[in-house]
Amino acid sequence: MLTMDALRRFGANTEEGLGRCLNDEGFYLELVNMVLGDAGFEKLAAALEGKDWQAAFEAAHSLKGSLGNLALTPIYAPTSELTERLRGGREADYAALLTEILSRRDALLALREG
Amino acid sequence: MEIGYSDSRLNRDKRKILVIEDEIINRMILENILRETYDVVFAETGAQGLEILNEQFRTLSLVLLDLNLPDMYGVDILRQIKADAVTAVLPFIVMTADQEAEVQCLNLGATDFIAKPYPKPEVVLARILRTIELFEGRDLLRWTERDQLTGLYNPEFFFRYAAQFDDRHPDIPTDALLLDVNRFHILNERYGKAFGDEALRHIADKLRKTLNDAGGIVGRRGADAFLAYCPHRSDYADLLRQINDGIEKDYHARVRMGVYPNADRGIDMERRFARAKQAADKVKSSFSGAVGVYDAALYDKESFNEQLLEDFAAAIREEQFTVYFQPKFDIRSEKPRLCSAEALVRWNHPRLGIVSPGIFIPLFEENGLIREMDSYIWEKTARQIRSWREQFGWTIPVSVNVSRIDLSDPLLPKLLEKVVDKAGIPQAAFLLEITESAYTDDAEQIVGMAKALRESGFRIEMDDFGTGYSSLNMITTLPIDTLKLDMQFVRTAFRDKKDMRLIEAVVSLAHSLGLATVAEGVETEEQLQALKALGCDIVQGYYFSKPLPPEEFEAFVRLHKDTEV
Repeated sequence: MLTMDALRRFGANTEEGLGRCLNDEGFYLELVNMVLGDAGFEKLAAALEGKDWQAAFEAAHSLKGSLGNLALTPIYAPTSELTERLRGGREADYAALLTEILSRRDALLALREG
Repeated sequence: MEIGYSDSRLNRDKRKILVIEDEIINRMILENILRETYDVVFAETGAQGLEILNEQFRTLSLVLLDLNLPDMYGVDILRQIKADAVTAVLPFIVMTADQEAEVQCLNLGATDFIAKPYPKPEVVLARILRTIELFEGRDLLRWTERDQLTGLYNPEFFFRYAAQFDDRHPDIPTDALLLDVNRFHILNERYGKAFGDEALRHIADKLRKTLNDAGGIVGRRGADAFLAYCPHRSDYADLLRQINDGIEKDYHARVRMGVYPNADRGIDMERRFARAKQAADKVKSSFSGAVGVYDAALYDKESFNEQLLEDFAAAIREEQFTVYFQPKFDIRSEKPRLCSAEALVRWNHPRLGIVSPGIFIPLFEENGLIREMDSYIWEKTARQIRSWREQFGWTIPVSVNVSRIDLSDPLLPKLLEKVVDKAGIPQAAFLLEITESAYTDDAEQIVGMAKALRESGFRIEMDDFGTGYSSLNMITTLPIDTLKLDMQFVRTAFRDKKDMRLIEAVVSLAHSLGLATVAEGVETEEQLQALKALGCDIVQGYYFSKPLPPEEFEAFVRLHKDTEV
């Protein structure tokens, strides 16, 4: 189960994220759990795989919004960067950023399960 | 996530905000921040957002718009809203992390921005409140503008939006329409209020659809009337047919329409619709194709009425109202005997000459001026009774009219006591005529008032019996002293011989209840004899005398006092 402590250790700016949730820890943790299960991660990976830059941009942009509001900085930062790079819709190598995003998401998932 | 709202859910104390945002986590965060203070409606896509905007924009205080939606760009939504003159007045706050989009949105008329990730909740709330307050200075209290039952505008807001239409379309001629449900009260009485309400809702929906298609707006006024303001068209018969189609079969109701075409923008909205109402009243008794149009004849009548209302104050001040007295004769004894009189008002207008009370009394009743006029007449009459007592040594009882509006004043008994005390005459000399139709307004209240007046020592005559919805229930529950048969009722009875039995029945019923009967409008010896034979107690009419000015009435009294005709 995720705890505030675990999130803090993970690198999330919990103070900021919790503030947006009116300091309701239960509510904040519920939303973090939701974003971890967000199908947007898989959509993003599939779009990049298929070189659909527009779809990739939209998926990244959506994730960025939620991650930013929850202040999950370690996942938010690369997602934000990827979004900006995809904005022009240009072909480039996004693999490293995607890997970073997914591995950090997985790390948080592992924290939750462990 | 709930989309849209139902009226029952709407908390009327809270302002309503539409949030157009596709990400569920963002929606949940916003809902958590806003729900204490606002009613929040969510749309997950641009299309849903536009739908809600089109349906509910009048009750919305603000829109929070996410720029990246799955189906359309936020800027396109903004563009659409701002292109529509009516929705353009809504304040928008755009939520974005993209600074370039901010410039574009500003140019399109967005009011403010909230960055993503969101700032602190206090900041979000403060920005929203500031934006709403800024806009409400221009457009107040949106959330009270709808009628609860039908969802149509209430008159106040209807007039406001109609005026807005004028401002925005100065070159489009418009028609003011008033739609009235024929005999709605009967529908309510017969099938119950729930059925009546359902019928009204159905009619309202039909009107909204039909008239919105015609480019108009619709409001509800009073129980069963609707207002509409539409771009001008030459014929409304088809439109009314469309509206009535189905309503008649399912709800046994029919709508009639009054049209004030090419409404004059120089006169205020209220007045434009007063004209539409006059046009609708013209077709009140018509059963088919009931569209009435405001025309020159109605205009003349309206101008004339206005003139009379304007002249009222001067008429009181300059004593243009004079009291005439029509003698009443007791016909129970061998020879008729002068027993009392009825005070009748005449208006001697400086320019128009004698104006018929049939014209100005209904007008003053409608405007409430009748109370002032009645008081004036009562005082004049009381002084006259006093003066005759000094002249003739006889207190002549005189009946005066008490309008239905007077009857709703709980202080009426005190007021009348003051009038008779001031003149130094007994209560019994002041007979109060109340009209039969007052009883149908609010029976319980009228019964209470009649009791109070009788306890004060006044006697009460029920006027106009036989004209409206005369009910036996009324004469048994209302504490009165005299039943006054309406002139028309008496005349018709004589014209059509078999109705004589009706008079006979009414007279004998009155007697069995201990009430005296007075017949008005007696014109011939034959009528007098017939009424006498039927047991009627008192008569008045041209057979004895027309209403007379005080000095002529005095001469009449001298002639008839203590003598029998």
